[in-house]
Amino acid sequence: MSDMAVSARSFRLATVPGVAVVLVALLLVFAIAAPGFTSLPNLSNVLMQSTILLMLALPMTLIIMTEGLDLSIGAVLTLASVVLALVVVSTGSMLLGLGAGLAVGVAFGVVNGGLVAHLGIPPFVATLGTLGAAQGLALIVSDGQSVVGIPREVRMIYSGTFGGIPIPVIIAIVVYLAFHGLLYHTRFGTYIPALGGNREALKLAGIRDTRVLVAVYALGGFMAGLAALLLTARMSSGHPTAALGMEFDAIAAVAVGGTSFERGNGWLFGTLLGVLAVGVLRNGLNLLALPSSVQVACIGVLVILALFIDALRSKP
Amino acid sequence: MSTLDIRRPAPAFAVSQDLVRLAYRLLAAGLICLALSLTTDAFLSFANIINVLRQASLLFFMASGLTLVILTGGLDLSIGANIALSACLAATVMKATGSPWLGGLVGLGTGTLVGLVNGVLVTSLRIPAFIATYGTMWIIHGLTYYYMAGETIHGFPPEFRALGSGYLWGVPVPVFLMVVFLAIGSIFTQRTTYGQQIYAIGANPVAAHLSGIPVMKRLVLVYAISGAMAGLASLVFLARLNSAEGDIGDSLTLPAIAAALIGGASLFGGVGTVSGTLIGALILTLVLNGMNILGVSANWQPLVTGAIVIFAVWIDIKTGGRSSEKA
Amino acid sequence: MTAAFEPAWEPPPMVTPEPTPLLELRGISKTFPGVKALDDVSFAVWPGEVHMLLGENGAGKSSLMKVLCGAYRPDGGAFFHRGQQVEITGPADARRLGIAVIFQEFSLVPYLDIAQNIFLGREFPGRIPGTVDTRRLHAEARRVLDQIGMDIDTRTLVHTLGVAQQQMVEIAKALSQNARILVMDEPTAALSDRETERLFAMVRKLQADGVALVYISHRMAEVFELGDRITVLRDGRKVGSVLPAETNADDLVRLMVGRVVDTTYGRDFCTAPGDVVLDVRGLTAETGITDVNLTVRAGEIVGLCGLVGSGRTEVARAIFGADKVVSGEVRVFGKLRSGGPEQAARSGIALIPESRKTQGLALIRSVGDNLLVSALGRLFPSGVFQPGLARREADDLVQRLRIATPNSRRTVKVLSGGNQQKVVIGKWLAAQAQLFIFDEPTRGIDVGAKAEIFALIDGLVKAGAAVLMISSEQSEIVHVCDRAYVMRAGRVAGELARADLTEENIVRLGMHQ
Repeated sequence: MSDMAVSARSFRLATVPGVAVVLVALLLVFAIAAPGFTSLPNLSNVLMQSTILLMLALPMTLIIMTEGLDLSIGAVLTLASVVLALVVVSTGSMLLGLGAGLAVGVAFGVVNGGLVAHLGIPPFVATLGTLGAAQGLALIVSDGQSVVGIPREVRMIYSGTFGGIPIPVIIAIVVYLAFHGLLYHTRFGTYIPALGGNREALKLAGIRDTRVLVAVYALGGFMAGLAALLLTARMSSGHPTAALGMEFDAIAAVAVGGTSFERGNGWLFGTLLGVLAVGVLRNGLNLLALPSSVQVACIGVLVILALFIDALRSKP
Repeated sequence: MSTLDIRRPAPAFAVSQDLVRLAYRLLAAGLICLALSLTTDAFLSFANIINVLRQASLLFFMASGLTLVILTGGLDLSIGANIALSACLAATVMKATGSPWLGGLVGLGTGTLVGLVNGVLVTSLRIPAFIATYGTMWIIHGLTYYYMAGETIHGFPPEFRALGSGYLWGVPVPVFLMVVFLAIGSIFTQRTTYGQQIYAIGANPVAAHLSGIPVMKRLVLVYAISGAMAGLASLVFLARLNSAEGDIGDSLTLPAIAAALIGGASLFGGVGTVSGTLIGALILTLVLNGMNILGVSANWQPLVTGAIVIFAVWIDIKTGGRSSEKA
Repeated sequence: MTAAFEPAWEPPPMVTPEPTPLLELRGISKTFPGVKALDDVSFAVWPGEVHMLLGENGAGKSSLMKVLCGAYRPDGGAFFHRGQQVEITGPADARRLGIAVIFQEFSLVPYLDIAQNIFLGREFPGRIPGTVDTRRLHAEARRVLDQIGMDIDTRTLVHTLGVAQQQMVEIAKALSQNARILVMDEPTAALSDRETERLFAMVRKLQADGVALVYISHRMAEVFELGDRITVLRDGRKVGSVLPAETNADDLVRLMVGRVVDTTYGRDFCTAPGDVVLDVRGLTAETGITDVNLTVRAGEIVGLCGLVGSGRTEVARAIFGADKVVSGEVRVFGKLRSGGPEQAARSGIALIPESRKTQGLALIRSVGDNLLVSALGRLFPSGVFQPGLARREADDLVQRLRIATPNSRRTVKVLSGGNQQKVVIGKWLAAQAQLFIFDEPTRGIDVGAKAEIFALIDGLVKAGAAVLMISSEQSEIVHVCDRAYVMRAGRVAGELARADLTEENIVRLGMHQ
């Protein structure tokens, strides 16, 4: 038994290398190999493209910290985007649209949380089921067609700038800071590692663990609803298959970022780095004119590598 | 701390409990058939029944291999991507050599190889199964797309296409194969020592290890089998479509998982049967077929699939069939 | 009625600064189906006192602890807090009375820091609703840590702490809830000597602050070093309450084990052991056992005893190949063995592990499935599993072992502890093992079934098998074993031949010096 206690700060530094080294290495490689990679417009582009993924990966981090999983988040994002587009197109009000998108997201999040926390259905199965439901509903409400005619003010959410900074980047920064505050400075955030690490301790402390768990999944749905605004603005439409499969990108980013699937060991900043690593990898390979297939395969390698490192680190 | 245990109503008879669950599922499938025959004319036609069985067979090939993996408490998310890669490589070889046998061998071999890689990743790198196979899913997916570069390979020898659309003694070949593999799968799981060990590993891997079962070897084996079954599915699929594209397996993974779960397999391991998975595949196909006949938009399919999966798992949890507690 | 609740002893005035105890239990009884866990136990603790609680495993210490923290409701008896009768109906009541229990299994969250763990569920609200006043959280945590002299950053994540420090955090957590009565369950079981010293210093500090401590221990040395009063439990009853000055280690050991020799365990000891079956030389494993030497001959039951944490289980696992061996060799029937459990099972070694439920059985599977899991290769060499043959074999074992189950197809989960243990043993009978390593074979098994298990073990050696048996209950070792090795701190501290095999000798050899 080691007598040496490692302080929280130095412990985190010790875990950075995994994803940070990968990110720095990727940046260096592409800066040298890919023409135009370091140009400001391109770097800004990398950030812009990473925003939606970040908005899913952040709540996914919290969900995975509870030893859970949300496979439905991509499909819920898709459904929320379609609903948002429909409402915006029919009413002309962006706020109403956003409200509808958020409502859809939260509803699905609460259902996920309820299935997991109250019915005891394994998170994988529960969210696999709601994945189907959200995907189906997206097709049904849109009748399989893209919802077009998105007004300019909505599109500006993605393409506009504020003080010279793209609006999506501002939103992403705000969201990240909000999650940071939530996880590290609120009671709710304190209970998240406890849900995954020692649920019994949480119960003994008199906390209603199921409630917290439902709230975590609901937050995932809420973020999917918020991301729907960016997605719809970016695509200038609500497409019923737009973000299918994005849950896996989010899980990959979380895994690459060093969050473990056990014991409530999560790291929010790592998720941010993980999202950026995935974005840089895609962008760089793109600039090198490598087809998207190679990008996909490289991300697969990235995930296995990151998980392997995680497994080594957690070795007793 | 036995005194603190809240004794859940535990199944008193393990084997008969399996049979009961199987019977319930058969009953459900039967009721769906009955309802569809009463409400529609189109359902109870020979052509439609054959159609349902044909569709179910493809799902079954994937889901049966997957069932073995799930029985050990693992998961294989790579089977859809595996199908695409196996099909494309088989198609290439067949085109190049004109030999359906060589093509078939390549398809099966590719599938098995991918499964072996998964097995090795899961056992030796200590990576959770669903993430490891998810990583390989992406790698295989990327490789396939890269290899195909958007091209389509089509037009295969008729003797190969018979695998998908031919008949053997009046039975469609895929359906015939489904029965054969149901028999093989059931015998393997129920009547070999390997099958017994697989159940033991899924029920309690630690106890299995301490009972002298070669856990690692068996895990590699089940992933290899899952890969091989994906290889087989790829051939049947290829023969049926008569063309290969990079994305042909993409949409098949989740339905295969759904079929296994509806069939009573538990993601916690140790519970499930190959015959249950067949019924799961049948129920899923029947429902989707019925919706089709009733003129319900295909858009409802994912929603209904999801609802059935949650319902089936919930019922099993309620009746104590796949309790999450192992200790 | 009142007569029954009278305190069992008069508090001696010199060690009790106050006339009324802080907490008093009178005539507490607790019965579980088939077991009387606590039988009319009276017990009191005064502020600033360390009350040592002694007893063998199963004597009722854990039950008493659970009663104290409100996890169990006693069937009879009453609680008095500062002389006032009170009710403890749940954990909340216990907390209100200032009772905190530190179990051996900690209630800490690995990826929260020390301060967050101390105040889990009782965070200080920040200015914005829902937020935590982190500064105050850490300041308060600092204050509590200072109180117990723990000089470590409150931002340290708990999973990076060693066992000793985690224990400190638990204590801090208890103190932060203004605990005035602290119950500790074998707090030094996993501590090194230096850590133990620090814990003792802290116990004394708490004592000086007027905290009442109930301290459960297996170690004689600390009983005399710390204890102000000693209560000994045996078989759910209080058999004595004494002052350290009035007793000595030998008396206490006698009190703890002092039951009439239990003849149900009696057996004809082995006079002419056969060939050496197991020969362990210089075994050192990653798990912390060092240079372990032992032999077991055919027909012998050899005990392996020592304190919890002395390395007994680790020796068993290393022999079985479940843990990595660093150096040394294990010979079975003269043949050097290597590899993991698979090879061990094949060479005729059986391990009946410590925890039936997590290591020994697949609970969701049937009795028959569990019985045959290690014998599949022997029974079905071709790999073809024959349900009929399997059924006959399983039914045969069920009969031979007298496992109480209607048939071999019943799930093993519904069996009693004793019958489950028989299934684990039967698993290795089916595999025709020749060397049986039992790790706590009677843990959690009631007295009647214990005798049956021992009869079974005796049957094994009569049939020529060799047995190595780990037990924390010295009386079992004494009554059952032909010889015994005693472990201390990962090494074999000594070997006791049949003639020297007494509980006193085991305790002496196994005790930390």
